[in-house]
Amino acid sequence: MAGTDTSQRKARVDPNKPVVEFIGVRKKLSGRMILDGLDFSVRRGETFVIIGYSGTGKSVSLRHMVGLMKPDEGSIRIDGDEITTMTQRELEVLRRKFGVLFQSGALIGWLNLFQNVELPLLEHTKMSKRKRAEVVQEKLELVNLWQDRDKFPSEISGGMKKRAGLARAIALDPQIVLYDEPSSGLDPVIAHEIDKLINRLRDSHGMTQIVVTHDMESAYTIASRIGMFYHGKMLQIGTPNEIRTSAVPEVQHFITGGREGAVSTRSDAAIQHGRAPGMLSQRTAEAIDAAADAAPTEQVYVLLEERPDDGTPAPAGAPSTTPELKPEAELESTQEHQTHEEKP
Amino acid sequence: MKDFWLIKVFRGTGYTLVLLLEALGLFTHAWKRRAAIMGQMHIIGAQSLPIACFFMLLIGMVFALQTGIEFARFGQTNLVGLVIVSAMVRELGPWMTAFVLVARVGSSMAAEIGTMKVSEEIDALEVMSVNPVSYVVMPRVFAYAIMGPVLTVFGTLVGIAGGAIVANIQLGVKLEDFLRFAERGAEPLDIYWGLLKSLVFSLCAAAVACSNGMRTSGGAVGVGQASRNTVVIALTLTVFLNYLLTSFYRMVKRLVAGLM
Repeated sequence: MAGTDTSQRKARVDPNKPVVEFIGVRKKLSGRMILDGLDFSVRRGETFVIIGYSGTGKSVSLRHMVGLMKPDEGSIRIDGDEITTMTQRELEVLRRKFGVLFQSGALIGWLNLFQNVELPLLEHTKMSKRKRAEVVQEKLELVNLWQDRDKFPSEISGGMKKRAGLARAIALDPQIVLYDEPSSGLDPVIAHEIDKLINRLRDSHGMTQIVVTHDMESAYTIASRIGMFYHGKMLQIGTPNEIRTSAVPEVQHFITGGREGAVSTRSDAAIQHGRAPGMLSQRTAEAIDAAADAAPTEQVYVLLEERPDDGTPAPAGAPSTTPELKPEAELESTQEHQTHEEKP
Repeated sequence: MKDFWLIKVFRGTGYTLVLLLEALGLFTHAWKRRAAIMGQMHIIGAQSLPIACFFMLLIGMVFALQTGIEFARFGQTNLVGLVIVSAMVRELGPWMTAFVLVARVGSSMAAEIGTMKVSEEIDALEVMSVNPVSYVVMPRVFAYAIMGPVLTVFGTLVGIAGGAIVANIQLGVKLEDFLRFAERGAEPLDIYWGLLKSLVFSLCAAAVACSNGMRTSGGAVGVGQASRNTVVIALTLTVFLNYLLTSFYRMVKRLVAGLM
């Protein structure tokens, strides 16, 4: 029955029209440009995987998709409908198209697994109790958790929570399923189980799926297309093979775990000091770029003696003891000094 | 960039008021959420009853002892009943019950909602188009508003009983003397006003707890902060509103007396 449903849906809408479309989306959060002109579109029925360094705002882009966050600039379209200007009520209708699997599963703590999966059915359908139980059983069996239906989220492992979260996400047979780091914190076997589930949903239910991950193995297994997210933009979008053989040095750097390829001076400097490239404050990033233009690359690393964003002092004995690193203030003055020298 | 503290206060107050109004406006969902409301009433009311009664009992006893010592100097120990009843009904009952509830229920409510917020459960509800105000906040606010006055009634009665016990055993006041003066301690209007105060404190504490929970960010530290802020803000508001409501009541009573 689900099959005919999908084919009818496909017949009604143009299959080539993108389901999700981001056009020039910008978002600034606590002084950092998280999304900086993000452009991409996702086709119907494909599994689109977004990869990229942690802390760069991949999850933020997912939150934009369902209207939990609004962009500062740009437009986001779901099935051709502009969602950035939608009212709360319109958003509620829009969200029925989505199922979202959150990083930790986000199950409601006082409901057991059965009730958690039943929740969207209770809220949005007028199904009889028997029908609801059937649907819940179907979904929980799909993720292999039916025998644990009476357990509460606090009694089960992380992998089970994620699978239960997935069962809840697809309870209403959404058109689009979003996954936020589905394999993080899971052992390889369970992570692979989740990958198989994602593939099964694509093949049997024809769902459009968008997956944010930094697990490359999983990305190759599930992706129709992969998009590399880098400094708030899509650096490259391609099939798994195109990404694997990518000539872009930043992409090579990411997918080989830093063994090959290279990144910009800015990211390289950050990685050298164990920071995610996306986590640099706007000011430091700009300072590094400016210094990179003015000075040889080696000197740029010095600029990373940056305070953490929450304002707590950097731990003692951290890189600050390394001789070539100087405090940021001093660096800025050096930089000013340099530009000053260049002027005459 | 850090905002000026006053702006934060205004923003917080505004959010809390809007949340409270929104929750109250969702009373039409109350029937659908009756199970959740009953569950919260159990936690807020039934489970808080022993500790609230214990508190009020001892407060009543201490109060009787202290006033009794002073009254004994003038040979007026019989008046203890009057003082206890008027104080319990007008002030101590609503007020101390509110304190117990904030400490026991308000803090945990903020921590619970705060944890839901930081573990993305609130977002998950929103993504499922389940309004978190209707699903999480409204049942708590309603249960709190119902059980606050109910607990106040129990607390006040137990407090008066505690006073009577001490008066009888330690001060040597006969029970019938205690009751005879106790009747003059409070008129019906005092009782209603005391219950109204309790309702106001309850709504206020529930709104502050839920609002702090919903605004939580930043993991375990944030949850702790939400819980702490709730206790501080709710208790401050309680004492402040208590003063306002009491002076208003006095004003009205005087006005009425002057007219008659």
